[in-house]
Amino acid sequence: MRDDAKNVADKTVPHREDEALKFYFTPTDPPGDTSDNPHAKASTQVADVIDALREEFGEPAIGEMRVYAGEHEVVVDRFRTIEVCRYLKEEQGFDYLSALGGVDRFVEGDRFEVVYNLLSLDDAKRIRLRVRVDEDDLTVPSISSVFRSATWHEREVYDMLGIRFDGHPDLRRMFMPEDFEYYPQRKEFPLLGVPGSLPLPPQTPEGDLTMDPFAAAHGSKPRESFDEPKSDFEQSL
Amino acid sequence: MSIAPQFVGADLGQAFRFWPRHNEAIYKRLESKHAWLEDQHVGDGGAPVFEEDPLENEMILNMGPQHPATHGVLRCVVKMDGELIERAVLDIGYLHRGIEKLAESKTYQEFMPYTDRMDYLSPYSNNVAWCLAVEKLAGIEVPERAQWIRMMMSELARVSSHLLWLGVGLMDAGAVSVFLWTFQGREDIYKIFDEVAGARFTVSHSRIGGIASDLTPSSLAMIKDFVDRYPKVIKDWQNLLNRNRIWIDRNKGVGTITAEEAKELGLTGANLRGSGVPYDVRRFEPYLKYDDVDFNIPIRTEGDCLARYFVRMEEMLESIKIIEQCLARLPEGKIRADDAKSAYPSKEEVYYSMEGMIHDFMYTDTGVAPPKGARAYHAIEAPKGELGFYLESDGTGRPSRVHINSPSFSNLQALEYMMEGEAVADVVVLIGSIDPVMGEADK
Repeated sequence: MRDDAKNVADKTVPHREDEALKFYFTPTDPPGDTSDNPHAKASTQVADVIDALREEFGEPAIGEMRVYAGEHEVVVDRFRTIEVCRYLKEEQGFDYLSALGGVDRFVEGDRFEVVYNLLSLDDAKRIRLRVRVDEDDLTVPSISSVFRSATWHEREVYDMLGIRFDGHPDLRRMFMPEDFEYYPQRKEFPLLGVPGSLPLPPQTPEGDLTMDPFAAAHGSKPRESFDEPKSDFEQSL
Repeated sequence: MSIAPQFVGADLGQAFRFWPRHNEAIYKRLESKHAWLEDQHVGDGGAPVFEEDPLENEMILNMGPQHPATHGVLRCVVKMDGELIERAVLDIGYLHRGIEKLAESKTYQEFMPYTDRMDYLSPYSNNVAWCLAVEKLAGIEVPERAQWIRMMMSELARVSSHLLWLGVGLMDAGAVSVFLWTFQGREDIYKIFDEVAGARFTVSHSRIGGIASDLTPSSLAMIKDFVDRYPKVIKDWQNLLNRNRIWIDRNKGVGTITAEEAKELGLTGANLRGSGVPYDVRRFEPYLKYDDVDFNIPIRTEGDCLARYFVRMEEMLESIKIIEQCLARLPEGKIRADDAKSAYPSKEEVYYSMEGMIHDFMYTDTGVAPPKGARAYHAIEAPKGELGFYLESDGTGRPSRVHINSPSFSNLQALEYMMEGEAVADVVVLIGSIDPVMGEADK
């Protein structure tokens, strides 16, 4: 695997000030009591499972619980992830991993989060676990030994956010090529990409690789792809 | 510009001129796969070694990304022993557009056309999935009539998606005529969508808080005509295929997955139900009006390609049953929430009243602003399986994080394991029976 020091240390810090989030702000109330949410489902109300988790693993491992729109979710300590998932699978019947995703919270401490979405097919229950991880030590234990289907989802999180999964059998990028050196889902990554970071096929049979597909947006005109005589209008300019 | 890659395939010249490390990693993976499961294959992670005698070599075959039978830009790198596949590695991402990232710079309503282009065989389901997720996040209630229309159109989208799967799947197995027939069926559905939404393919008809326009009498008549005609057409196809020796021989016992494996590999949708796991989001977490209508969920226990074929064929008939009930029970009423903060005003209000115009402007500019810190996940049963959107809000009109749980992505992961041990000629049949759409898997 490649050395990621460059990505973690240099590229994030200087951008913090000048690339702060733009807020198109509409004043809103904080999330209040949302038990009347018209889309709330019975399957996501799993307070009893979270109580059982707290009893089994204790306070520091199982963090705060949150409810919004009838969905119970709980923060789990990073180093207890595998144990908690195995307990849920074997003791509580959560035997199906629906999805797993990463979140860039863009805050000072514990910047990243990995969100697990587990299903109990027999009891019709859905639980959401969150694992927080700091920028300084971007590793989370891989749960691919518990749920095999986590393999690709963890690769996707690694590809998009750069979170590394300890014990993962095959930590390659999922969507981007291995030659790409950035993590595009991070908040500081520019929407139009980084020029030169992703070589694409040449536009003519003998031409060079296309280094920036959005050259016009980045201020330079792309090389003309073929010899086409200029129109009268273009010549008059 | 020359990059000198030191890996197998470097002698192919122009073909591997860019992304050399990417191809290197795929070949390394092909060598070392299963080393973590069974310790017998301790690959050193290097490139394959070639023997002097060509008959001693294991053949490595690259299929895709430009291959008609891969249903899009799916690349399979398979290592073969004779004509059996020993190991397979799938490489996806050739259609990656970063729509999760793009969503963070769009208002909730603006993101809708992007969902059309995810599973582009059933755009209406994706629109509905997105709207339901946003409505859950913002706590918006949708009028009854809109819910029934959404349900009806989603089921039409399911039929349309399964029609394409059937035609293309049979074409992969060598029967071209069914492909032409199913495209006639899709054409009929396109015409319905055209009448309902004004677009044949990428409809974007659902709106947050309701739908864009009400059904006209002519569109209702077209849907009625479709559900009257098609049960017989589908039964004709079943008569042709259910006892067709070639079709059964190509499918029976191919890509068998047990119920345990299916759950472990994260299969979803008809593929999971073909293995005997009764998971359907319409029953698991009923949304819209699915708990009010009467329908069955077809399940097979064999877990092979034939079982998946039976499940999808029966699902089409069940969908038509649901559409019939929707037509019979469609209530009168509004089609969008009557609240300027949660849905667009009607065009009459926009054209003839000052407030309507202001609301329209504000809704386009800022749109729905769910409370700060709100998070919600909402899933629907899309034609391919569980399609869910996980949303996080920071109190603005744009989501701070969108995570798409796309069924094709989950299904493709299982396909990688399903292919191992099968004959190379069955690869196209397997891909067809899994029914992946790369627009959705690659996001």
